[in-house]
Amino acid sequence: QTGALLEILHCAVGIVPSSVVLTSFQVMSRVFLIWAVTHSVKEVQSEDSVLLYVIAWTMTEIIRYSFYTFSLLNHLPYLIKWARYTLFIVLYPMGVSGELLTIYAALPFVRQAGLYSISLPNKYNFSFDYYAFLILIMISYIPIFPQLYFHMIHQRRKVLSHTEEHKKFD
Amino acid sequence: ECVRSRNESKTINAAFQILTPWHELPPSLHKNPLHFLRLSPETSLSHPRATGQRDSFLLWPSEACAAAAGQRRVPLHLDCVRALAAIYVPGTRLDKHFTGIISLRPHRGPGVRSALIGALIRRLADRRSSPTRSHKPHPAPLDTRPATSAQVEILDAKTREKLCFLDKVEPHATIAEIKNLFTKTHPQWYPARQSLRLDPKGKSLKDEDVLQKLPVGTTATLYFRDLGAQISWVTVFLTEYAGPLFIYLLFYFRVPFIYGHKYDFTSSRHTVVHLACICHSFHYVKRLLETLFVHRFSHGTMPLRNIFKNCTYYWGFAAWMAYYINHPLYTPPTYGAQQVKLALAIFVICQLGNFSIHMALRDLRPAGSKTRKIPYPTKNPFTWLFLLVSCPNYTYEVGSWIGFAIMTQCLPVALFSLVGFTQMTIWAKGKHRSYLKEFRDYPPLRMPIIPFLL
Repeated sequence: QTGALLEILHCAVGIVPSSVVLTSFQVMSRVFLIWAVTHSVKEVQSEDSVLLYVIAWTMTEIIRYSFYTFSLLNHLPYLIKWARYTLFIVLYPMGVSGELLTIYAALPFVRQAGLYSISLPNKYNFSFDYYAFLILIMISYIPIFPQLYFHMIHQRRKVLSHTEEHKKFD
Repeated sequence: ECVRSRNESKTINAAFQILTPWHELPPSLHKNPLHFLRLSPETSLSHPRATGQRDSFLLWPSEACAAAAGQRRVPLHLDCVRALAAIYVPGTRLDKHFTGIISLRPHRGPGVRSALIGALIRRLADRRSSPTRSHKPHPAPLDTRPATSAQVEILDAKTREKLCFLDKVEPHATIAEIKNLFTKTHPQWYPARQSLRLDPKGKSLKDEDVLQKLPVGTTATLYFRDLGAQISWVTVFLTEYAGPLFIYLLFYFRVPFIYGHKYDFTSSRHTVVHLACICHSFHYVKRLLETLFVHRFSHGTMPLRNIFKNCTYYWGFAAWMAYYINHPLYTPPTYGAQQVKLALAIFVICQLGNFSIHMALRDLRPAGSKTRKIPYPTKNPFTWLFLLVSCPNYTYEVGSWIGFAIMTQCLPVALFSLVGFTQMTIWAKGKHRSYLKEFRDYPPLRMPIIPFLL
């Protein structure tokens, strides 16, 4: 997953047409979950929620990269296209649930250890409460997830119906 | 839309959109329906049918001319067609030579291309279909002076629905006047909200553009896009600056429910905290006064959603900074009074500089006008930064905030300066680029925001 940082680079350089902002958002959220939550809070690594999101991400990535590969070879089987634009309906909520449950499981350990937090007074007059930050992250899923989900559904309608039109036209 | 081609491979290709309604096309084009592929308005050059070999549409000279040239057809490049469209006037000598249809090798600027082609075809159609004017929407009664009035039709850019038809428009009318006429039929779309353009996906036309000078025929087709609710710049500025002024003071006076109850309405024992409050408040009072009395805005309005975005930014950061500076556990700067004095000096100098630049920019532009001139240094030493930088007001602004950050030794202030610097750099680069585009003799030494560097 950390290797996916290259995707941001590819968008920034221009060899991939996606938007840099959108891609960095997606990649950074995954990298954050892996390093700043799952890796940092060892106790959380044996949770079922971790298994849940790992499976969801892995399946999504297998389909997604196959999709890109076949597209580049100009030989995209309809099955792959269908899978990419349909399986997310289940995989996406699955992944999100796994992520949220993992963060939730990590909370008490963060509070206990004061992980990544700094409190007043200090030389730079700054404070940061990682516990509160994680809660804010969880809350941010509420507006963001539906938007991305319905965007994908919209894309699905566009892409899959376009293919049918294509076939009819030919 | 129509497509026509006759090349050796006999495939139909090159699709593009013409602005002429089907019934206004020359009758000769109707004759061979096999040669026409009627595509929907959304079909663009990326349609699968349109890819592959693309031919130029051929401008067919009359038989005599063709015989003389020794060929049946003369393919014409876009530049040629453009030149022809510019000089083509019905009834002139050139007119006799061109009897055929026009298409085009695809190029950049579909809006210009199709507008030109539409204009050219319309003129051909006018010339050839003059006996059959009855099917035209507004036949001019004994009209022999088409040049003194134009017609404008306004279509929705997304749905292509006809929203408005204006006839008897002065050819030298500006877009601003057309917008006013449009508002009369659709009062909910006041002029500030209208974006009119020649091509649905093209750039917006400016208010100062004159109808006559645009590449349109006697009936101009403009596409309308709603920019959404607009709000005036002055309102936005006043709101976004009044917020931080007020919010900071809430923290300074330690209003209840921010810090612990035992600190309610107490005051900090550090001088630097009082100084910081004075500086911060002075800064925003200065900004408010400048908005009311100094600035001359080139645009009247901006989209309504900007006010929420901007206020969140300014108010949010003001609260965040104020929280730490006025906190009971605040730690004063490491190097004590020396650090505070130096930083205060930087702050004051940059505030004076920023104000001088605003005054210089204001004097550059007379009241009520939208003229743009290159700013130059004046007698005021603070304006001498114009020698090195295009936007010294941003330079001084960043300087002020760096001074404030050093004075309070507060990380959130430094972060606020960083974010502000990033945004102002983007603006400065944009401004610098438009200066370079607009003025040939722009001083080459100047950088957008940081002398010699950025």
